[in-house]
Amino acid sequence: MKNLLEIRELAKNYGSVVALKSANFSVSPGEIHALMGANGAGKSTLVKILTGVIQSNSGSIKVNNFLVNFSSPDNARKNGVAPVFQDPALIPDLSLRRNLKLTNTDISKFEEKMIEFGLQVSLEEQVSRIELPMLRMIDLARALAHDPKLLILDEITAALPANLAEIVIEVMNKEKQKGNSVIFISHRLSEIGEICDRVTVLRDGVDVDTFETKDGDENRIVSAMLGSKITQNLSGNRVSTKADEPIMQLRSIKDDNQLRDVSFRINKGEVLGVVALEGQGQDSLFEILAGERRIASGEMLFNGSRVHFSHPSDAIELGITYVPGDRKSALLPQRSIRENLALTKFPKIRNWGWINQKTEDSMVDKAVKNLEIDTRASSQVKRLSGGNQQKVTIGRWITTGFDLLLCFDPTRGIDVGTKNQIYTLLTGLSAEGKSVVLFTSELREIELVCDRVIVLYGGKIVVEYDATLCTEELLLNAAHGRI
Amino acid sequence: MRFSLREQTWNISILGLVVGLTLWRGNQLPVFGSYEIKTILLGIIPIALLAMGQSLIVIGGGINLAIGAEAILINCITARFSDGTNFLTSVKWALIGILIATLIGALTGWVISKSGIADIVVTLATSFVLIGLALFVQPGPGGGVNLDFAQTFSGKGDSFIAPLLVLFLPIFLIWLPLQRSRLGISFYAIGSSKDAAFLSGVNVARTRILLYAFGGVFAGICGVSLTAITQAASPFAVISNTATLNSVAAAVLGGVALSGGVGGLFGPALASLVLYYIPTIMLGYGIDPAYSQIIQGALTILVVLVGGLLRARGKR
Repeated sequence: MKNLLEIRELAKNYGSVVALKSANFSVSPGEIHALMGANGAGKSTLVKILTGVIQSNSGSIKVNNFLVNFSSPDNARKNGVAPVFQDPALIPDLSLRRNLKLTNTDISKFEEKMIEFGLQVSLEEQVSRIELPMLRMIDLARALAHDPKLLILDEITAALPANLAEIVIEVMNKEKQKGNSVIFISHRLSEIGEICDRVTVLRDGVDVDTFETKDGDENRIVSAMLGSKITQNLSGNRVSTKADEPIMQLRSIKDDNQLRDVSFRINKGEVLGVVALEGQGQDSLFEILAGERRIASGEMLFNGSRVHFSHPSDAIELGITYVPGDRKSALLPQRSIRENLALTKFPKIRNWGWINQKTEDSMVDKAVKNLEIDTRASSQVKRLSGGNQQKVTIGRWITTGFDLLLCFDPTRGIDVGTKNQIYTLLTGLSAEGKSVVLFTSELREIELVCDRVIVLYGGKIVVEYDATLCTEELLLNAAHGRI
Repeated sequence: MRFSLREQTWNISILGLVVGLTLWRGNQLPVFGSYEIKTILLGIIPIALLAMGQSLIVIGGGINLAIGAEAILINCITARFSDGTNFLTSVKWALIGILIATLIGALTGWVISKSGIADIVVTLATSFVLIGLALFVQPGPGGGVNLDFAQTFSGKGDSFIAPLLVLFLPIFLIWLPLQRSRLGISFYAIGSSKDAAFLSGVNVARTRILLYAFGGVFAGICGVSLTAITQAASPFAVISNTATLNSVAAAVLGGVALSGGVGGLFGPALASLVLYYIPTIMLGYGIDPAYSQIIQGALTILVVLVGGLLRARGKR
């Protein structure tokens, strides 16, 4: 069959850093094609080239057998390629209507798509006031309104509530029936086999495997992604280290937003899981624990004594550290890995106002080695892949030392290999007697790394389970308020 | 075109302030009739036009510290070449002046886009170049313009209709259509988020050049209005600096966010009235006008501060 999209030996480098070595890839009409790869494999680069965000150094792209050169996102869209990114490309200060006008989108078609999705939104609403999951659906409806031949969905289902993820999958199947194609990028392996026809796996900037999903399974994807590296299976190896001594206790916490009567404890040396659907108050809860948000009533005890946080530095001083969901907000994107790692340590390595270079060097080197951070692009953290950025955000706190680590969805949009490294890191920390609170949108992680788990629903804790004894089904039900 | 509620509230508050100050000023004067209104209008036209030009650029995520100098240069060019000419020649030079300002704006935008150097640095340097050019064209105060042409702008006798039109025509003929167009939305887009704008298919570099060019149009009209109202050229750096600062102050007072992407041109036009009233009312009480500069500066800082606090509260 004639290919809709055909890519030959596509390459891209930034100075001496090779992002894409030689990628070959094709999509037939009416096909859902998964594009897989560990972080730094060149997946994002390939998507950026296909959507006209950046231009390749060499290689060719053919659409319907015609050579094309996507010079801008607008140009790619005119060629029938429409992307939906993990971070929706909508202008925050403009109303939805004006955003649609900006992209020359047919408003009635857009509304039609939203009705098909069963979603309602006011066109006059300012984009900055719309929640992220809704924005992704809006972005998808906008892309569909342009009648694309090829839809590129980059991590769209990550952190999307189940009901919306289902709509996305329906959309993909509908497009397929119409004879249009979809390139689907997801870290949720279980989705791939169910939805996609073919899979292409990238590793180190080269396509290493392409196969029909009926001929292979998740293991084939994982082994292609990891190459020689072996997948670690953590479950079963974990030894529970929890002592029954609380490091932190929350009593009847209420905030002026969503939380109502939240009480729980975090024990020394345990990993406490937090499970919730989008927008159930978990953001507020983590911000309260990290000292970013104030409570309206209730009390917090740390090591048995009452504490009151008016600023994140109060929490940090007690040894509570927060790794937020948005990696960009935690890092200094333009500075080096070294500086980012040492940043939180500055108060301790300062010597009469000067930073001791030797102390800094040895600490940073240790962290880089322990975390296996890929330092090829060490001069600017913003050039690192998502997984490596996440390692830097966690690593900086490890160089500082802490007693309680708050992790908000640390493995979101990260490849399997790096995920496993982060799991090992977290369980290792708890074995050392540190406590971890982990919010995750991947239920599988609860069983893998947690000792106990609490489920938030509508701003309240609905249930607490022993993590080793509960099933994903049980958790999912609780997260929907069904106990 | 609907406005957000917050933008409306802001405009209404400024309008309230303007009405209050007008009553106050009216109370100071023995008579408050057509002539007095005309005086006020002629006083604010240059400030308002410059404020609109600056606001447009700030909405697009930039800032132009050379906007005052652009106006002064056009003032000098038109006053020199229109001196003693007939009506049509004066009109011709007015149009040439506006065209020159537009091109200067476009060139500034091009340099900023291509060099990647901050707007504030490029335009500060440009302001010195432009004032130098103004002195080259018109080494001292002087020049003039055809009287009929001047009266077309400033009105005959006590009638304030002509200056009122000069003030509002640019809003209706340039801003309203622009605001509804894709280009106008692109201005907001690049001011709000350059990355998202690029992904939405906006040519960021070209839009920024057009942004500064449109700012130049307003600066050009401002320069021509200075020539028509004063019937002379005043090539002074002090005037251009004060004018630039006033334009920023009016933009901020008028509800334009310095971070870009938010605001409109009505607010700043109204706010320029506030900036006009402060020194005039103080002068009416016989207070040293130097104090008015302090008040003006402090007011601008206060507005930015209140805006920042409100935004911080919204995030909590």
